[in-house]
Amino acid sequence: MSLFVAAMIILVLAAAAAFTTRTRVSGLRRGGERLHSLPGYHGIYVFLWSAVPALLLLAIWAIVQGGLVEQAVLASPAGQALPDFDLQRDAILSEARAIAGGYQSSGFYPQSEALAPVHAAARAHYGWMGAGVAFTAFLVGLLFAMRRTGAAFRARTGVERWMMVVLVGASMIAIFTTLGIVLSLMFETLLFFQKVNPVEFLFGTQWSPQTAIRADQAGSSGAFGSVPLFWGTIFIGAIIAMIVAIPLGLMSAIFLTQYAHARVRAWLKPILEILAGVPTVVYGYFAALTVAPAIRDLGVTLGIPASSESALAAGLVMGIMIIPFVSSMADDSIAAVPQAMNDGSLALGATRSETIKKVIFPAALPGIVGGILLAVSRAIGETMIVVMAAGLAANLTANPFASVTTVTVQIVQLLTGDQEFDSAKTLAAFALGLVLFFITLLLNLYALRVVRKYREAYE
Amino acid sequence: MVDRDTHEPLMSAHTLKAFDEDLDQLRALISEMGGLAEHQIRESMRCLTQRDVEGARKVVADDAKIDELDRQTEQRAIQTIALRAPMAGDLRDVVAALKISTVVERIGDYAKNIARRVEQLETAPAIEPLSLMPEMARIATEMVHDVLNAFVERDAETALRVARRDQAVDDFYNSIFRTLLTHMMEDSHHIGHATQLLFVAKHLERIGDHATNIAEMVYYAATGGMMADKLERDDTV
Amino acid sequence: MNDTTTATAADTSAAPALPKMRAENVNVFYGDKQAIKDVSIEIFDDKVTAFIGPSGCGKSTFLRTLNRMNDTIPSARVEGLIELDGEDIHAPAMDVVQLRARVGMVFQKPNPFPKSIYENIAYGPRIHGLTSSKSDMDAIVESSLRRAGLWDEVKDRLDESGTALSGGQQQRLCIARAIAVDPEVILMDEPCSALDPIATAKIEELIHELRGRYAIAIVTHNMQQAARVSQRTAFFHLGNLVEYGETGQIFTNPTQQRTQDYITGRYG
Repeated sequence: MSLFVAAMIILVLAAAAAFTTRTRVSGLRRGGERLHSLPGYHGIYVFLWSAVPALLLLAIWAIVQGGLVEQAVLASPAGQALPDFDLQRDAILSEARAIAGGYQSSGFYPQSEALAPVHAAARAHYGWMGAGVAFTAFLVGLLFAMRRTGAAFRARTGVERWMMVVLVGASMIAIFTTLGIVLSLMFETLLFFQKVNPVEFLFGTQWSPQTAIRADQAGSSGAFGSVPLFWGTIFIGAIIAMIVAIPLGLMSAIFLTQYAHARVRAWLKPILEILAGVPTVVYGYFAALTVAPAIRDLGVTLGIPASSESALAAGLVMGIMIIPFVSSMADDSIAAVPQAMNDGSLALGATRSETIKKVIFPAALPGIVGGILLAVSRAIGETMIVVMAAGLAANLTANPFASVTTVTVQIVQLLTGDQEFDSAKTLAAFALGLVLFFITLLLNLYALRVVRKYREAYE
Repeated sequence: MVDRDTHEPLMSAHTLKAFDEDLDQLRALISEMGGLAEHQIRESMRCLTQRDVEGARKVVADDAKIDELDRQTEQRAIQTIALRAPMAGDLRDVVAALKISTVVERIGDYAKNIARRVEQLETAPAIEPLSLMPEMARIATEMVHDVLNAFVERDAETALRVARRDQAVDDFYNSIFRTLLTHMMEDSHHIGHATQLLFVAKHLERIGDHATNIAEMVYYAATGGMMADKLERDDTV
Repeated sequence: MNDTTTATAADTSAAPALPKMRAENVNVFYGDKQAIKDVSIEIFDDKVTAFIGPSGCGKSTFLRTLNRMNDTIPSARVEGLIELDGEDIHAPAMDVVQLRARVGMVFQKPNPFPKSIYENIAYGPRIHGLTSSKSDMDAIVESSLRRAGLWDEVKDRLDESGTALSGGQQQRLCIARAIAVDPEVILMDEPCSALDPIATAKIEELIHELRGRYAIAIVTHNMQQAARVSQRTAFFHLGNLVEYGETGQIFTNPTQQRTQDYITGRYG
């Protein structure tokens, strides 16, 4: 039996049970008993107890079933006959799975057709078993809940407890996903560090991740010093982009909060926020096709040798992209400075700009700094613009006209195309990702701390 | 603008009802005291004319009731000031009540003093001025009655009329004084009794004066203005 | 301003006490809504003037017109004449920044800047360039804090944040801050409404101390406070100035029924 069908049946049965419970409890009320909870709560209670554990078991079963089926197939006589070579065996198995599932009528490998009925049988076997387990859980939950419902039963409290379980479950999914990502990064990174010395990776200044397939090839030993990449990331994301974004973002925030007429603000603020909605790939080709050539030409005019892919082009465009982040955080924190501060300063005979400079801006500073830090972490994680406009050369240079590369660009480079997943070259991507993750994590944590501190400023 | 010269309409209720209740109780206390004081004056005069010594003793004893009411009024007024922080008209009312209660207590004392003289006059022969005195007492009692009603109703007009009536009491006093003096000169045996009667007349005259004082307080409480100014203005017109 | 108003100004100048500030036929509008209707009032140098009235009666609005704080509200519009020492405060020659230095303001909620106590006081003098040296500034800070009765409480912690003080101290800091620019008039908008009775008493005492040195106008919801601190009281109702007179007279014998009803608690 397909697990999906089983799930549907359980849902329908649980709904029916809920409905009958509701009707039964309503009957109790008509019979003159005082109910603790409304009949609907009894129904929901029965539904939750009968459906949720059963469906969870089904979900777990669905994950486990694949492995069980495969084991059964391999244990069968036809399975025993399969070649030992992993790749080929996997190919045959997946083909058998496809034929058994009916997605494919015949296979490339003759073995797979023989294996298909075995596979189908195993699937059916385990499917029924899973459905059986789920139905058992359904019945147990149903009986448990049905026995409890009654006039005095506090179904409302019970449902409330279930709600908490559901909510905790939802938040756990997000947390465990993050944890899973970190763990998988960590695992691959450990593999990488078995091949490359961590110290060399973290402090080396040479980056050329070319591992040779044959040991006698030129450049056989790749260099995995990540410093140029992180420098490039910081140079573009945290320096050039911020030189653009901080002044423009802050000034527009100050204009919008302090000077703009309410009607102007109502128009300008959403327009500014559209900047945040432009897909980064659009910024990317804007940077690559418009800004980068213009900068190269400018460099030529100034007599500076300029690459057609420059840190400046990527940084400038990224700065523009980041403006809404900076300005909306600054906007919020400036708007959060109590009007009383403003009034207090004006009442002492200060002008508007003196007030902004000496009272409002310092008061909003923690919030603004928090916003900038969040913007920086956004900028250094940004990929598309730098892929298209920053270049690939891992230069350790402070010349904005030169081409530099960033961590994200290199990750893209390392993982696109046909790659082996056990070479130092591909594993390096995971190590880079992990370090980048920690950097943005630290920046975010620090930003949150700054922002939290600022919340207490006036109370 | 409210015209000061006509009495203000009874004021609308306070937002805080308990405040109104406090003020009402204060007025009720003053009203009760006033009623008691009127009764005491009438009784003492009845005992005097009917030579009722027993009744007079009761009047003397009953004065303690007025004193007790005076004490209660004072307490209630101080409490109202402390708890309600009265302002403007309310403040004038409460302060007036405080002062009026003292004055009414004094009026009660005069009634008591009249009653005390009944014993000395028990054996006195009927002398002519005694026939004037009940009328004088009636006017003085009426003044007390009217002025206390005026306070309860915040009626400045009545207070003014009461103050103007004081002249009648004074006139009675002068006339009784002259008559008694004549009696004493005619027959020295009368001197003792006549002196007692002269005191009674003096007490009645003082009661009138006190009623006039109360009228001034009522006038200030009700209008915030001074009655003397008003009378002066009226006289010059 | 037309000629008749200047003529009346000349007439009143013959009166014995020259008003520090004078408003004549002032109307204030927020958009289409009229918040102040034809108010004329005089504020004297050595007197504390209290503005009382129910919420929304316009007393705070009127107070804010006296140093043109309403300019910061885009929809607000002021008509009529307001003079400071005979000068029209809306005249082109009058700089609003200078006006506010001369007519200081203390607000309902204490609003010290999130700076040190010293910097809070030094803020105004620094903006107006009142001092040339650090020692001058120190002297201004000390004298302002002394006059606000706060010196002894804070002299050892001038570097601490002004927001770390208690509510009452913060409000006295704000008064000290206003004093530091040496104003002629101090406007107070319900300065004690956020304070406990003891802090309130200290502010009231301070107002007494400051009287004579500055003309003071105070808006208050607390009638007892108006009675305690002011010499003159103005009663506002629905944007009108109903009654204006000696505080003693207003609280014992108001001439207007509306005033009487309000101060005796019969309003509404």
